[in-house]
Order: sequence, then C-alpha cells, then structure tokens
Amino acid sequence: MRNLRLLLKRNRIWVGVAVLAAIFSNLSQMIYTYYVGELANRIVGRTMIGLAFLAVLGGFLVSNAVTQFLNQYFGRFAAEKMAHSLRMGYATRLLRKATNDREGLSVSSAMSVAQNELAQADAYLGNTFFDVFGMAFTGILATIFLLLQDILLTLTLLLPTVLILVYVRFSSRKLSGIVSSTQTEKARMNQVVYSAVSAFPAVKVFDGEALCKGAFRKRLLAWEGHATKNGRWHALYNTLSGILSRVPLLLLLLVGGYMVIRENIQIGTLIVFLNLQKSLTLSIMNLPSWLSGFQVFTTNLSRVEIE
Amino acid sequence: MIELKNVAFTYQEKIVFQELSLKVEKGQKVGIVGESGCGKSTLLRLIAGLYRPAEGGVTVDGENDPEKISQKVSIVLQTPMLLPLTIRENITMGHAFSEEWIRQVCAASNLTKWIETLPNGIDTYLGDRADELSGGQAQRIAIARAMCKNAQVLLLDEPTSALDGENAAAVLEALDHFGEDKTVLHVTHRPEHLVGYDRILRMEGGKLLEANASCAWRAVSL
Ligand SMILES: Nc1ncnc2c1ncn2[C@@H]1O[C@H](COP(=O)(O)OP(=O)(O)O)[C@@H](O)[C@H]1O
Ligand SMILES: [Mg+2]
Repeated sequence: MRNLRLLLKRNRIWVGVAVLAAIFSNLSQMIYTYYVGELANRIVGRTMIGLAFLAVLGGFLVSNAVTQFLNQYFGRFAAEKMAHSLRMGYATRLLRKATNDREGLSVSSAMSVAQNELAQADAYLGNTFFDVFGMAFTGILATIFLLLQDILLTLTLLLPTVLILVYVRFSSRKLSGIVSSTQTEKARMNQVVYSAVSAFPAVKVFDGEALCKGAFRKRLLAWEGHATKNGRWHALYNTLSGILSRVPLLLLLLVGGYMVIRENIQIGTLIVFLNLQKSLTLSIMNLPSWLSGFQVFTTNLSRVEIE
Repeated sequence: MIELKNVAFTYQEKIVFQELSLKVEKGQKVGIVGESGCGKSTLLRLIAGLYRPAEGGVTVDGENDPEKISQKVSIVLQTPMLLPLTIRENITMGHAFSEEWIRQVCAASNLTKWIETLPNGIDTYLGDRADELSGGQAQRIAIARAMCKNAQVLLLDEPTSALDGENAAAVLEALDHFGEDKTVLHVTHRPEHLVGYDRILRMEGGKLLEANASCAWRAVSL
C-alpha cells in the first residue's frame, strides 16, 4: 500500500483528472438513463414528446459519448503514467543498492522481480486499474440515484446486494491467502531458474545441474499444488457469485412489476431501475475477480522495492 | 599437471590472450598478480573448463576436454554465485558428503559461528534472505563449497576480497593447510597473501611473467 500511495501521489494531477472524468461519465450516464425512463412514462401516459425533450435526450447522448471517451482516455493515461513511475522507481532503487558481491543471488532475485512482480503490476496498471475504480463509482452513484427515485424499490435491490457483498468480502479474504502463496511459489520457482543461469560457472564446476533441476522440480510441484487450489477456489466463488447476482434482478422484476401494476410507481422508474441494476449487479458479480486481481496487484507491488 | 599451450581467447571483440603458455607441476602453489582487467579471472575460468580457448589447448591432469576438466578442479570464483537453496545445498551442491566433512569445511571457512546463530542452522534457506547475507558470508560459503569438492586442483580468484582482516587471515590459513597436497592457483591483488608460494606470476598485456617468489611480495609491499 505504501507503494500504491507513492505512485498515486507522484501522479496526483493525472489521477485526479482520471477520477473526475470517471465521475462525470457516470453522472452523465445516469441522467441519460433518467430521461429514457421519462420517455417511457410519456409514451405510457400518452403525453406530448416535444422537440425540447428530444433535444435534451440527444444532448445527454452526446455528453455520454464524450465523457465516456474522456474517462477511458484519462484512465489509461493516468495508469500508464503510474506504470512509468513504477518502472523508474524500481530502476532507481536497483541502481542505488546494486552490489556485485553476490552475483548469483542478487541478479537472480532482481531478474525474478522484474519478470514477475514488476511485469504483472505493470500490466495490471495498464489494463484494469482505473476500471475497478470506475465500477466502484458506478455502484455508489447508482445507489444514491436510485434512492432518490424510490426508497422501497432501492431497498429491494440493495438487500440481496448487501448479502452478496458480505459473501464476496468473505470469499475474497479466503482467496487472497491462496493467491499470495501461489505467487510466492512462482517467484521461488523462477528464482531457481534465473540463478542457475546467472551462476552457471559454479553450477558447472561443482556439477550442480541435478541439484538445480531437483530444486526446480520441487518448486514446480509446490507451485502447481497452489495454482490448482487457486483455480478451483476461484471457479467456485465466481460461480456462486454469478448465481447470487441473478437474485436482485428477479426480485426487482417481481416487486417492481407489482408496484407498477398497483400504480405505486411509474413504468419509467422501473425502467431506470432495470437499467442501472445491470451495471450495479455486474460490478458486484465481478467483484471477487476484481478484488483478487487488485489483491494480486498490491501483493506484487509490495514486493517491488521502489524509490 | 596444468598446461596451457599457445592459448588464444577473446570475448566477442575483446582480445584477452593471444599466445599464452603456462605449465604448473602437480602440487605446486602458484600465485598470480596483475592489474585488474588484465585477464586473471579469465585465465582461471579457462583452466576450470568454463571457457573453450579459441586456439591452443588447456590440459589438466592429462584431460583436455573442458567438460571433463570441470570435474577435476575446484574454484572460488571472484563472485560467490550462490543459489536460492539452503546453505548445505550451496556447499555440497547436491552431492553426498559425510556430516563430519561438511562440519570441517564449515569450520575451515569460518562459517560455524554464524551458522550456529541461524534458526535452521546449515539447513537455512537462502532464497528469501539474499539481501540479508553479507558479502563476506556469501564468499565464505563459496570457499566452503570449493573445499567440500576436494578436487586435486584448487583455483582461487581473490577468495578473501570481501572478508575483513581477521576472517581473511583465518580463512587463508585454512586454505593453505587445505591446499598442502593440492595444486593451487591463487589470484590476488595482495601479494602478502602469497607467502610461502612456490611461484609468483605477474600477468601483463596478456602474458604471464615469472617473478621471484621469495622476494616478490616484499618488493611489492614495501
Ligand atoms: N563476459 C565478458 N564479456 C566481455 N568482456 C569480458 C567479460 N569478462 C571479462 N571481460 C573483459 O576481459 C578482460 C579481462 O577480464 P578479467 O579476466 O575479469 O580480468 P581480471 O580478473 O584480471 O580483473 C577485461 O577487459 C574485461 O573487461
Ligand atoms: Mg578478476
């Protein structure tokens, strides 16, 4: 987390811009959704749909596109900036502490870090980092927005969602332990290979090939054990959360449909809920993998020494 | 015992030796001094069968295939080159040796005291704590490894460069004792470490010049 804070602080301007863009993009999407609901209401109520209304709808459609573009653009840009800081920070640190007296070990661990932790953290930053935050925004903003529309229906949607969240929290904690031990084993396995290469003179003169191969096999087995366990638990948790995520939609249709029939709410409100429910549940459904991805990222990051 | 005949060796473009010859009798103790970068480490690596000469031949104990030469020599490389394994594995390199022998080489390399402070002793895993290992500790493990193999030819490439005076003196004495019945080539930039050696060679411009063993170290150090 220290490293993440450092990266965020070093790029605070771009990170700030990216966060603002994410907020605007989400807001604009929600207002647009609101107007779509309003359109449905007018159709059902046989009210005039004026030119002004259509203009507003069109305007938000355009602003939707623009803010979405800015959101993606600045999100990627800020992430790329952070990835640069990470690589530079690692190189700086390495140069500062580089000593030549333990060639075999220190070169191999530096190479192992560069090829594993650094490369993975780098890839994560470039691909997913701001998406996670975008999804979190969507969830929070959608909830607030829905509460303003209808409290009872929002609760119908939120209650099962909260239950899912509790489940996700529990499962991600379980997963993170497995993830980090898998990574440790992978790093050790790679370190054996790199050190066998960088220390080849010693391996050759002292006939250590069998030793290296044996050590590699042992590490490979340990890693395989962790990796299969890792895959199994991920599959299980993702499947369960996938099934759980269907519950909110079902409840929403049943309760919301009933309310529309009883004329407690308008059809437009239900349409707004149905629309936002998708993004809300989608973010929750993917939460375990995002959280564990984020976990992998922070674990990786904590193993990279930067300056 | 060790013979180099008109050896030529280059790293990519860099020519290190062109016509290098050397003959070392069985059991001789030979010291090698010279400016850094003149090719001392390269010479030891050639003799250890780690490099193949571009021209000429290297023979150790009648053997001239580099692969087989490697089996006949033991070397303390200029850098320790440890593996992310236990201390024991780094010393034995996976070969079977008696506990008593391993204990002896650890004692000779001044490792015993340090090893006793470790929670897992000689079976302590070095991989996760590479950064906690001092240069001196790493070098002493490399020396123990070289002694453990117990080959008839012992090549030492600045074996005590990372050790403090006290450790260096103790380890050098142990190495002298250990090398009594062996052929020893010792590269060092400290001629006073070569007292009692049969020959001292100075490497200059890719050639080896014979120096007077009895007074060379005094001449240099005075
Ligand atoms: N792996 C290598 N690749 C290219 N050049 C090398 C390599 N190792 C050493 N050299 C060069 O060969 C020369 C001899 O090096 P070395 O044998 O290490 O010298 P010494 O041990 O006497 O300091 C030096 O100029 C060095 O820069
Ligand atoms: Mg050298």
